[in-house]
Amino acid sequence: MFRLLTIALVAAMTVLAGCAAKVDYGDATARETVNTDFGSTDLQMIAAKMVDDMLVFPPIVQMTSQRRPVVFVDRIKNKTTEHIDTESITDTIQSKLLNSGKFRFVDMTVVDRVKEQLDYQADSGLVDPTQAVLMGKQIGAEFMLYGNMSSIVKRDSKTKDVYYKFTLKLMNLQTGILEWSGEKEIRKTRNNTFLGL
Amino acid sequence: MKAIHLLIAVLLAAVLAGCSASNMASREQGEDGQFETVLKSNNSLLYSRLQIVELNERSVGDLMQVQATLENAWKFQLDFQYKFKWFDANGFELAPEGQAWRQLILPGRNQANVQAVAPNPTAARYEIWVRE
Repeated sequence: MFRLLTIALVAAMTVLAGCAAKVDYGDATARETVNTDFGSTDLQMIAAKMVDDMLVFPPIVQMTSQRRPVVFVDRIKNKTTEHIDTESITDTIQSKLLNSGKFRFVDMTVVDRVKEQLDYQADSGLVDPTQAVLMGKQIGAEFMLYGNMSSIVKRDSKTKDVYYKFTLKLMNLQTGILEWSGEKEIRKTRNNTFLGL
Repeated sequence: MKAIHLLIAVLLAAVLAGCSASNMASREQGEDGQFETVLKSNNSLLYSRLQIVELNERSVGDLMQVQATLENAWKFQLDFQYKFKWFDANGFELAPEGQAWRQLILPGRNQANVQAVAPNPTAARYEIWVRE
């Protein structure tokens, strides 16, 4: 009887321990394969490939050897069926390019707030005119970075296959010429297995 | 019976060590001024199966680009991750949180080239880390 109670107690403790929630920090750069949806690993792979490709493309190397061209980032058109924060991808690419010391960027997402601040400095009468930032002195972007994100999803009863294609382009705003284009393909497959076997 | 338990414990320890450890390769300048490939490993299982057979580097503008030729010496497919770490002349790691692990699936008895570009022109040294 005593042995039966011990076994029951150990079994109950095991079950309860198994139910306990645990929160921990993980490596943000580690491979993430929770499901086939677009994830952090995909974002990091895309950003690394795009930046590496752009920085070693010979005309870009020549262009950035003596100066740091000014670029503005347009949006990435999401043509997949998923909700993907494409601005997060371009933010990572922009950070890497900026930190490479090869490019400078203008941020079009804060233009309204910048204008508001400049108006305040110029018109409010509260800012010393000799210290105020002058209007009309900003530098215009020479290049535009933009692109597409598309996917092909195929599935049957056992398998789901997702193919992502990310395309990024750099256009010369003066001439309309595409100076560089890069692509990154990602394939993810999920196989439903019986009892994990 | 004790011997079996001991064997199981040793095998379990070996498997756990294999799951967590990484391989590392770097190219360092020797005393004679010549660059040489230095291989270090704390993962004997992956180290025995994956080899870095060639390291090439070049300057693209003022950025360093590295290509490593990895060979799967095992007869089965290897599914692993690799990462480049970059250091400046003073040994400071560049963008330590900006370099993500990259996935590579290498069929048995096959080679693959992996490339990376330094995050900025101050890079003077690199390491390639590999893990399962």
